[in-house]
Amino acid sequence: MPKILLVEDNEMNRDMLSRRLEKKGYRVVLAQDGRQGYLMARSERPDLILMDLSLPVMDGWEVTRLLKATGSTCHIPIIVLTAHALVSDREKAFEAGCDDYDTKPVEFVRLSDKIENLLVVRQSS
Amino acid sequence: MNLQNLSIKRKLMLITMLTSSLALVLSSVSFLIYDLMSFRRQLSQDLMTQAEIIGFNSGAAMAFKDESAATATLSALKAKEDIVAASLYSPEGKVFAHYFRANKSLPPSLPSRSQQNGYRFEDGYLQVFEQVTMNGERVGTLFLLSDMRQWNTRAKRYTGIIIVVVLICGSLALLLSSKLQKLISKPILHLEDTMRMVSSNKNYEIRATRFYGDEIGRLIDGFNTMLSEIQLRDSALQRANNELQTSTHELEVEIVHRKRTQEELLTAKQAAEQASRAKSAFLANMSHELRTPLNAIIGYSEMLEEEVQDLGKISNVRDLQKIQAAGKHLLALINDVLDLSKIEAGKMQLNIEAFGIADMIEEIVMTLKPAIAKNANEFQLRMPQNIGVMRADVTKVRQILLNLLSNACKFTDHGTILLDVNRVPNAGQDWIQFRVGDTGIGITAEQQENLFHEFTQADISIARKYGGTGLGLAISHRFVQLMKGRIMVESAPGQGSVFTVHLPVQAAGEHPENTQSPETVNAGASSEVKPDSDTILVIDDDLAVRDLMSRSLTKLGFRVVAASSGEEGLRLAKQIHPLVITLDVIMPDWDGWTVLNKLKADSDLAEIPVIMVTIVDNEAMGRDLGASSYLIKPVDRERLVTLIEKHRAVRLSTLEKASALPANWPSKGQKNSRKPEAVGPRRH
Repeated sequence: MPKILLVEDNEMNRDMLSRRLEKKGYRVVLAQDGRQGYLMARSERPDLILMDLSLPVMDGWEVTRLLKATGSTCHIPIIVLTAHALVSDREKAFEAGCDDYDTKPVEFVRLSDKIENLLVVRQSS
Repeated sequence: MNLQNLSIKRKLMLITMLTSSLALVLSSVSFLIYDLMSFRRQLSQDLMTQAEIIGFNSGAAMAFKDESAATATLSALKAKEDIVAASLYSPEGKVFAHYFRANKSLPPSLPSRSQQNGYRFEDGYLQVFEQVTMNGERVGTLFLLSDMRQWNTRAKRYTGIIIVVVLICGSLALLLSSKLQKLISKPILHLEDTMRMVSSNKNYEIRATRFYGDEIGRLIDGFNTMLSEIQLRDSALQRANNELQTSTHELEVEIVHRKRTQEELLTAKQAAEQASRAKSAFLANMSHELRTPLNAIIGYSEMLEEEVQDLGKISNVRDLQKIQAAGKHLLALINDVLDLSKIEAGKMQLNIEAFGIADMIEEIVMTLKPAIAKNANEFQLRMPQNIGVMRADVTKVRQILLNLLSNACKFTDHGTILLDVNRVPNAGQDWIQFRVGDTGIGITAEQQENLFHEFTQADISIARKYGGTGLGLAISHRFVQLMKGRIMVESAPGQGSVFTVHLPVQAAGEHPENTQSPETVNAGASSEVKPDSDTILVIDDDLAVRDLMSRSLTKLGFRVVAASSGEEGLRLAKQIHPLVITLDVIMPDWDGWTVLNKLKADSDLAEIPVIMVTIVDNEAMGRDLGASSYLIKPVDRERLVTLIEKHRAVRLSTLEKASALPANWPSKGQKNSRKPEAVGPRRH
């Protein structure tokens, strides 16, 4: 059962997304801010990380950069989620090292497709 | 002391005194001289008479040589104080008798011999000689010597008197002149005082008093007149000075005022910029803040839908789908506002991706169902099954169609809404054509002009009746332009409307707001552009059109100058006198009709053929305003080229004719001679 770390500061989004993911059969662990997200990524060793960009304490770009620079976490695929719909935001996110990108409001079907894709890629590699 | 520097008073006194004293002295002296001379003559005659008497008395004594008698006779002279000596000479010339005044200290020397009758003055003495006769016979000579004592006394006394008189008269003259000189000196001194006062106090109101009607009086009059004149000028000068000061002050006040206004303007500008930044930040923030709860709404409703579907409650599923659709629409609206602010800031970017057209249409129709049902409208969709995929910014395409369709729903009651989707090839490119038709209230020709402008609805009352921000069509128009497509409208009041959108199947994905083709840049700095019979001026606010025209016409050997606004176009037209002008209608600021009007109103430009190239289907209007030809976008390139070639041929033949004319042929004549050949609207 793949484990997904969801880093999201908005409680409703966190609740909704985690429930839908769990329904899909994933194990979901939750972090409320960037720092917690980083620590949990190291301790929980998730199979995939869903990362909001605007986070308190440490923002999503920063956490993504840190995780990708850390040997024990650099292999974990990260999908960045943001309400910012600007192309520049997407470029910035990819620069930080994320593996995929989706905009809020989340289209769940599209998102779960992306999750599955990344997990398949990881398993095969 | 220099006489000339004496005061007038003293001068006057001195003159008077000297003059009067001199006159007195002169007259007195001449009188004295005259008196003394006549007195001397009298004295000498007296002495002569004396001598005659004594001579007579002593004649007997001389004749008889009686010396004592002669001496006695001479002694009688004692009574005469002035006679100091007397002597009687014998005819031989010898002294016979003599007399000396006793107390005379200095006895005069007697003349050694007798003289002829007569008198003479010698050494201050009067000498008289008298022949002494006795019975007609000369017996001797009498000599008398007088010291002229009386005369001397008289002379001394007279001199003294004269001196005294002169002194008295001088004093009197001094006294009198000291009094009378004031007649002259007083007004002069007063004048001098006044002058000094005027010059030291700079007070030109002081006036000298006129004492008498003489020359000085007139001088004072003249001085006063001069003062009045100076005073007049001084006050005029003062007035002018005051006015100058007042206006200087006013100027200063004005400058201060302007400075303040400038500062206020600057502050206002900064405030406006600050407000603009705050607005941008607010919009970005709001869009985030609004999206987050929407995210939850849409997400939870999706979740619920899934769960409810599992439970088999189909009616609830539909409601949940409505919530989702409405949420998504709301999201789209938020994006609208954000989009417009981005468009305004020139920051709009395209997010090009491939998507299935049918899926998108289905989603749109789902979203619109409540709107369609609201006015009891019927909805028809005509779309081929194999419509396929297009590459574009799906959000924006969706938004365009949602805008057009929701407008159609809004303005139609118990009617039909039609969406016609087609793939149409045109100008070597595949286009997707969306036609949104309705049977609603329609749009008048005037309303159509402003239809695509921000915050403009066809009618003010519409906003009240139907609601809406008025941004929909403007955003749609901008989006279509961004994707290098076209939007146009056909409508008549009461006849419904048809909006047609053409979008390329493969969007280029450029960001026109941020890029400029080199042609346009050159046109912007067009000071070097020269009149040219091969130059075509393209006036279009759409960069894609300018680009396309430039490229295709340049290939055919034309020089293309592009203008992005009507104003720039008009300026360039004046500068380069192009062969042909192509003109768009829907442009910001001046629309094509305005530009066409201005071109035709300018006698220099009126004969340049104008080809309207527009999505607005109003050929009659174009013809009326003087357009040569009218082409509807998307442009049939061959037709455009044919038209331009025709104009070029006309221009060339005209130029040949013009050059065949005499060199001094007036330029106006050339223009006039060209006119009949010009391609007028009615020839097409």
